[in-house]
Amino acid sequence: MPQNDQALLMRLKDSGLEFVVIGGLCVVYHGVPVATFDLDICCPFGEENVQKIESAVKDLNPVHRLTANKLPLEQTRSSFKDLKNIYLQTDLGKLDCLGEVSGLGSYEQVFQQSILHTMSFGQFRMLNLDALIAAKIAAGREKDLDAVRLLRAVKERKAQQKELF
Amino acid sequence: MIDEVTLAQMNGEYLMPPDAGPAWRAAAEYGFDMSLIEESLKLTPEERLAEHQQVLNFLIELQESGQSHAAK
Repeated sequence: MPQNDQALLMRLKDSGLEFVVIGGLCVVYHGVPVATFDLDICCPFGEENVQKIESAVKDLNPVHRLTANKLPLEQTRSSFKDLKNIYLQTDLGKLDCLGEVSGLGSYEQVFQQSILHTMSFGQFRMLNLDALIAAKIAAGREKDLDAVRLLRAVKERKAQQKELF
Repeated sequence: MIDEVTLAQMNGEYLMPPDAGPAWRAAAEYGFDMSLIEESLKLTPEERLAEHQQVLNFLIELQESGQSHAAK
């Protein structure tokens, strides 16, 4: 299955959903080259926001990828108001939407620790480096702690060489 | 004539930047290839994401090729 993060990001933005990019793509963004096979975002939940997520991916055959029978997203509309996270498989790849981030808190707290970055395909909010390190420490898996070691080195290097981003 | 230091680098030994801080040194000593981080930091964030996408496309193609081969 393909994983086209740029296309997914553009669709989410066009849907009007507010979100912050978190997870592996954010690690890459800050300068640590890891391979990450899903797009993780943090966003506010509630029926209206889940509908925005659905509108972003509705033509991509979205299914709840962690359900045993891969329930199609459109068949679960009655539960939209009760969702706090969504883990989707779409024709453009995996999209994980989280209502909060361990170590950081709710979407509002995540938003406050994000930076707005302009790229050629749009403006997107990314978790700042300190927040990303805190989230990875809280996640605590071996691969997260490996990322922390490298992110700390990157942070140190960027402090030494101000021209680096 | 190639000196010993250059030869060691040719064989993969990492040349620690003289101004490397404790976190950088710790990561290198832990075993990470810090030359990859150095290269990544030379790119803009958007270039990093584009490079990641290219690598991802290749890895997925490789994975699918492997699955297809195993199925035969």
